[in-house]
Amino acid sequence: MSAPPETRLLLLEDDANVAGTLASRLTTEGYAVTYANSVRAAREALAGPAFQVAILDVGLPDGSGFEVAQTLRDRSPATAVLFLTAYGTPQDRIRGLELGADDYVTKPFVFRELLLRIQNVQRRATYLQQPGAVQGATSRIGMADVDFGRFTARVGDKVHRLTHKECAVLKLLAERAGNAVTRDEILDRAWSPDEFPTQRTVDNFIVRLRKLVERDPSNPQSILSVRGVGYQLEAGHE
Amino acid sequence: MDSKGALSVTPIRQSRLVAILAGVWLIIILVLGFWWGTLLLRQSARIAQLSVAAGVPQSEAFAELSRTQYMLQWESGSFLLFLLTLSAALFWFYWRDMQRARGTQAFFAALTHELRTPLTSVRLQSEAIAAGEPTQELVDRLLADTHRLESQIDKTLELARIEGGGALAEQAIRLDPWLDRVLRGIVAAYGNAVQLELTLDPALPAIRGDTSALQLILRNLIENASRHGDRDPIYVDVNVHNAGGHVELRFADDGRGIEGDPSKLGRLFQRGSSSRGTGVGLYLVRVLMERMGGKVEFGAAPGGGFAATLHFQRSAD
Repeated sequence: MSAPPETRLLLLEDDANVAGTLASRLTTEGYAVTYANSVRAAREALAGPAFQVAILDVGLPDGSGFEVAQTLRDRSPATAVLFLTAYGTPQDRIRGLELGADDYVTKPFVFRELLLRIQNVQRRATYLQQPGAVQGATSRIGMADVDFGRFTARVGDKVHRLTHKECAVLKLLAERAGNAVTRDEILDRAWSPDEFPTQRTVDNFIVRLRKLVERDPSNPQSILSVRGVGYQLEAGHE
Repeated sequence: MDSKGALSVTPIRQSRLVAILAGVWLIIILVLGFWWGTLLLRQSARIAQLSVAAGVPQSEAFAELSRTQYMLQWESGSFLLFLLTLSAALFWFYWRDMQRARGTQAFFAALTHELRTPLTSVRLQSEAIAAGEPTQELVDRLLADTHRLESQIDKTLELARIEGGGALAEQAIRLDPWLDRVLRGIVAAYGNAVQLELTLDPALPAIRGDTSALQLILRNLIENASRHGDRDPIYVDVNVHNAGGHVELRFADDGRGIEGDPSKLGRLFQRGSSSRGTGVGLYLVRVLMERMGGKVEFGAAPGGGFAATLHFQRSAD
């Protein structure tokens, strides 16, 4: 499967050998690759038209890919962000995911695996941009006003930034409000098989979402558990 | 540095707990020592009073009290001073050990990064070649990656050898034409990315050194210029001349130079502002130079690049 037409991809990588071959192979796969070898060069590239996908290295000569992710989230929240790094510690991974990374690939990797991951984050980003069954860009879920266009959740006066995964799960639940959504459906919508998710992954993820949208996460009133099936967004949540 | 100490990572959290317990123990000992000293002084005063009451002449009793108090003050004071000195020494060792443990952890993290990046590249080039794209460019990148891996492994092994007290095989080395051959060989691995200009004084005396160590020093300096200079190609100027009692090798590149304090360069695990490198290359340059009886100074080149001046001892042979 090659990239959808006009898929703009930002590749931020300071190692010339890795970047050269990666850019060439991604171009062969149909991506319009813009290559940056430093934080400064990436920021310059971000000033132009928006990218659909960004592959960011973490350790760079003039800073970190995390800084670029932050800029990217502010300017273009719909861009799917994938970290590509030799720093594979759990702390790095958590930091990357907290900054809104959609996936985290540790070096060395197999090119086909990277391609699958890119396609997966792209598939999720495309789903989030489709109008779907949710009326309007904003949906009320529990205490939060979720803006699927801006990837934010407003709770009172506080605006929380949402990752693409969080948005995808909330959107699926909102589209099927009043009906149970199985764990497999959630996994299929927000994760790719190469991330090796389990049903427990979904449960932990729902715990995080409840902390955001529920008044009392230990006694959820909006995202309800359906024993043996999955989860259901209470009808009339809007 | 102890080689075992360099390679064994003390769990930092455990060390911190030990330090806190040692601190509490020290405070308890100091308070108890002070309290016992006070009690003894009081008791000696009481004994003096009782002696007077028992009929001992007052002057004799208080002279004895004065002697006892003087002795107690000196002994307890010396004891406390020894204890404080010992504790300060222990805390210093602990702090140094912590720094080293942190440095070792950072080294292993950086080493993993330094090995994973060329490995990624090797895999990418290999996959591309297997997919039917065997261009000369891919093959060149593959060779450059294996060279980077080899260089990293060499540095790590040399670090282990040096820290383990491994001896150098010193001999008289005539730099002309040895240096030209070795430097051209090192630079060739970088293709056109490094451009070398070598000037050798024709009347150079032989120097005292180890050829393997000298090769590693030169390789590290060239690699440092290539990786941290941020220029492509980077121009490296090597000038070797007789400087009175010793031989001086001046190395300078036209890269971006040193960012930060140059006096910190050459310390183990010290990295510049760049996230690249393990902080071992320039350390090995410094230590190997010192082991050969010479020294090295790092600084800025006249054009703003990186510079290193190596002072070699002349051979007595």
